[in-house]
Amino acid sequence: MGAAPNVRLTLSSRAENVLLVRQALSGLAEAVGLDAVALNDLSTAVTEAANNVVLHAYGEGEGPLEVELTSSSSGLDALVADRGRGIGPRPDAEAISDGIGLPVIQALSDRVEFRERPGGGSEVAMHFALEQARPLDGLARLEPSGPSGPGPQAILLALAPAEAARTVLPRVLSTLAVRAHFTTDRITDLQLLADALVAELGTDGGGLLLELGVAPRNLELQVDRLPEGRARALLERSGPDGFGSLIARLSDEQTIRGSGPLQSLRLRVAQA
Amino acid sequence: MTATATSTTARSSATGDAETLHLFARWQRHGDPAAREALVERFMPLARSLTRRYGRSSEPFEDLVQVASLGLLKAIDRYDPERGFPFQSYAVPTILGEMRRYFRDSGWAVHVPRGAQERALKVRDAQERLSNETGRAPSIGQLAEYLELDTGEVIDALQAIRAYETVSLDAPRVGHDDEVISYGDSIGGEDSRYELVELDATVSSALAHLPARDRLVLHLRFVEDLTQTEIAQQIGISQMQVSRLLRRSLEQLRTMTDAPPAGTAR
Repeated sequence: MGAAPNVRLTLSSRAENVLLVRQALSGLAEAVGLDAVALNDLSTAVTEAANNVVLHAYGEGEGPLEVELTSSSSGLDALVADRGRGIGPRPDAEAISDGIGLPVIQALSDRVEFRERPGGGSEVAMHFALEQARPLDGLARLEPSGPSGPGPQAILLALAPAEAARTVLPRVLSTLAVRAHFTTDRITDLQLLADALVAELGTDGGGLLLELGVAPRNLELQVDRLPEGRARALLERSGPDGFGSLIARLSDEQTIRGSGPLQSLRLRVAQA
Repeated sequence: MTATATSTTARSSATGDAETLHLFARWQRHGDPAAREALVERFMPLARSLTRRYGRSSEPFEDLVQVASLGLLKAIDRYDPERGFPFQSYAVPTILGEMRRYFRDSGWAVHVPRGAQERALKVRDAQERLSNETGRAPSIGQLAEYLELDTGEVIDALQAIRAYETVSLDAPRVGHDDEVISYGDSIGGEDSRYELVELDATVSSALAHLPARDRLVLHLRFVEDLTQTEIAQQIGISQMQVSRLLRRSLEQLRTMTDAPPAGTAR
């Protein structure tokens, strides 16, 4: 590996979140131009690794599920990690996930490593050699971090560069919108909002850092680590001349949080 | 029966249980076809499970199960119990290999986008039908239920509608009286509205390059704050069409201006 990831997703290890991981992967595959067979291989293997975390990393409970996706000239790397028991090299590995998960990952990836993480947990690092792959500039900055710190159900998403953000963010937001019972017209509004955010911020070297959350008929979207004044500027004007702020128009409530050099812009999008 | 078979399979994998080993001995050493059949029956749940996992978006499903079964037979014939690995660790890559080869050879990579396009059109049509019936846009869950797709497939379809020009402006659609009209036809009789937007003093020079209809849609959504569904009803096009027009117009404007907006320090 070594290269900086293009997608970093941190979420709770619940079954419904595996679909988010898959959609993020599909988005990156679209940006890189992978064909359907390659994507199916990747998606199956990554799903197995994520399901293993969901089913086995935290016993009956929940904990963080962390996914990093990196496109390089040699292919695509996917890292699926937990902070619990994980699926490290254990004698009873065959008992995990009805015994099929690990052999599936091994069969579909070109290289796989199961590692213990320092401080607890384990990770599965998969490499998929792909002729169609190409390198993308990865994330320069680390974790999203809002002023209040994310709750356990928050979904942290970091994306770079803009061309990956452009295909991944709308998919992730659409998937969350399904949970919030959004209708299609509101979902397409969300996609426009994603486009606007990427157009305004996505070319910013460090990447786009977001915290996402779902409440009934509401979707919360917080853009973190904005330089001072940036959030206000976005709410005054974003998009073409004559329309004010597209970002403000496409969301129902806007809050600027934090002070000093780094601020967060919190947007709430509601389903009427 | 299936449940028992699965759990037996799972347990047997760790040790390679005695009965499985016995069946392999009967088949591989003595050529007993009944033993081979028993092995197939015993591990068929594994083949089906792999088909479900790997062939998620493949249709028809049963065709792929056949391919997986072929992989299972190969694995049963070639597995060497002497090497000390459980059968599953040999069978999984063999079965997956068979399915991967099938996908490559059958041009699945070409079929899938085509299938996805057809799904996108179905989703578009269902979206319109449900909107017309209820007067409001459906949720993805409603679309998924209506079309018997899973929500992931509907999201993929929405993405396809958005990403490609699969749904052309001139694609025929069925009008209310079942006569076939095209989107192009239905955008008429709004001339006065176009003028109104044209006269808007805030219209930027980039905006002036857009067709009047696209400007109107932008105006209705972002100045008058109508919902996409309301705009669709006013102009007589579908909501999906409104969303695509909005997206395309905004993208065109971004390309045209292509300069960082005011107040941006990069």
